[in-house]
Amino acid sequence: MMRDDPQIIALVARASSGDQVAWNELVERYAPLVWSICLRYQQLSRQDIDDVGQSVWLLLVENIGKLREPAALPGWLATTTQRECIRVLRAAARHHDHGSLPSPDEMPADPDAVAIDNDVLAAERDAAIRAALAELPRGCRDLLLMLVSDPPRSYADISAALNMRVGSIGPTRARCLERMRRSPHLAAIIDSPSWGISVEHARGDRGE
Amino acid sequence: MNERWEHEPDAPGQGDDAVLPVPSDDVLLAALRQAVDARRAVPPEFVHAAKEAFAWHNIDTELAQLTFDSSRAADRLASTRSEAASIRALTFTSARLTIELEVTAESLIGQVIPTQTATIELHTPSGVADVIASDEIGCFSVQPIPSGTFRLRCRALGGIDVLTSWITL
Repeated sequence: MMRDDPQIIALVARASSGDQVAWNELVERYAPLVWSICLRYQQLSRQDIDDVGQSVWLLLVENIGKLREPAALPGWLATTTQRECIRVLRAAARHHDHGSLPSPDEMPADPDAVAIDNDVLAAERDAAIRAALAELPRGCRDLLLMLVSDPPRSYADISAALNMRVGSIGPTRARCLERMRRSPHLAAIIDSPSWGISVEHARGDRGE
Repeated sequence: MNERWEHEPDAPGQGDDAVLPVPSDDVLLAALRQAVDARRAVPPEFVHAAKEAFAWHNIDTELAQLTFDSSRAADRLASTRSEAASIRALTFTSARLTIELEVTAESLIGQVIPTQTATIELHTPSGVADVIASDEIGCFSVQPIPSGTFRLRCRALGGIDVLTSWITL
């Protein structure tokens, strides 16, 4: 289990009391989770996904003050997103044939529960890493973002863009990653089993 | 555990955390790449709509919860409502007001109970889409049937102001 992340608990408390900035931060953190779960329901159109997203966040607005375990918000979002995906698919099936239940082969394939659990763990880790990145000094942030850019950029390219000697990129990279490792955002996830699982997950089925 | 973890038992300033494994530079960078990619994959308008939803926070109105939905099998079995002509029937209940809705082929028809004249607002996530006056016995009709997510706000004499939970037909 994930250790209770005090950052999430604080954001939920602030959003519950009406703080739009805290709400935006929660959205920034977890919109990728809602999005990735929707993509697992392959029958959903892009419009359907927007409808699901809208319902999920509206439900969170209504329930944010009543969450029994604010730290479990990612799990709550995952469950709610799955339920809304299924609801939208059922509604689409009903429109084709008023009243009757969709036949079994029209019913949504239920994504693997383990896959969804991994989505939650990956989302928590990704969010913590992005939060840690955002608090690094500008120079570190720019360098690290270039190092993970897609398509990859050469050291010569990075050197020119950041006005930094090629020879100092390696040591600066190490120093910036070390700062990141010490971030309080990572403290909540650094000893979590999600770390190993999710990196495997990232290299495995995320790339498909 | 696995070879990706480095141990830094002698690193200064770590206190009790000194025994914890930490990810190597390569693992951390790979995780950073995934975190950045996952965020980039989400369309901006999807994120924007999520932020906008907060406009609904703490609306100072009595909420009416869905207490009956004919599309739920358990409700259908227990139903005492006549719904021969309707595709779907819904009931929203709050302390002071009940709102009954029926979806027919062309429109969404409703009634507030206790019966009285009321003003009905049709709300969508982007704002008020329509304002409808009921008749003296609280009956009203919404046309066309809302295509996306919506909710109804009913106002009547005596300060009655009730908002249903979100509905998608």
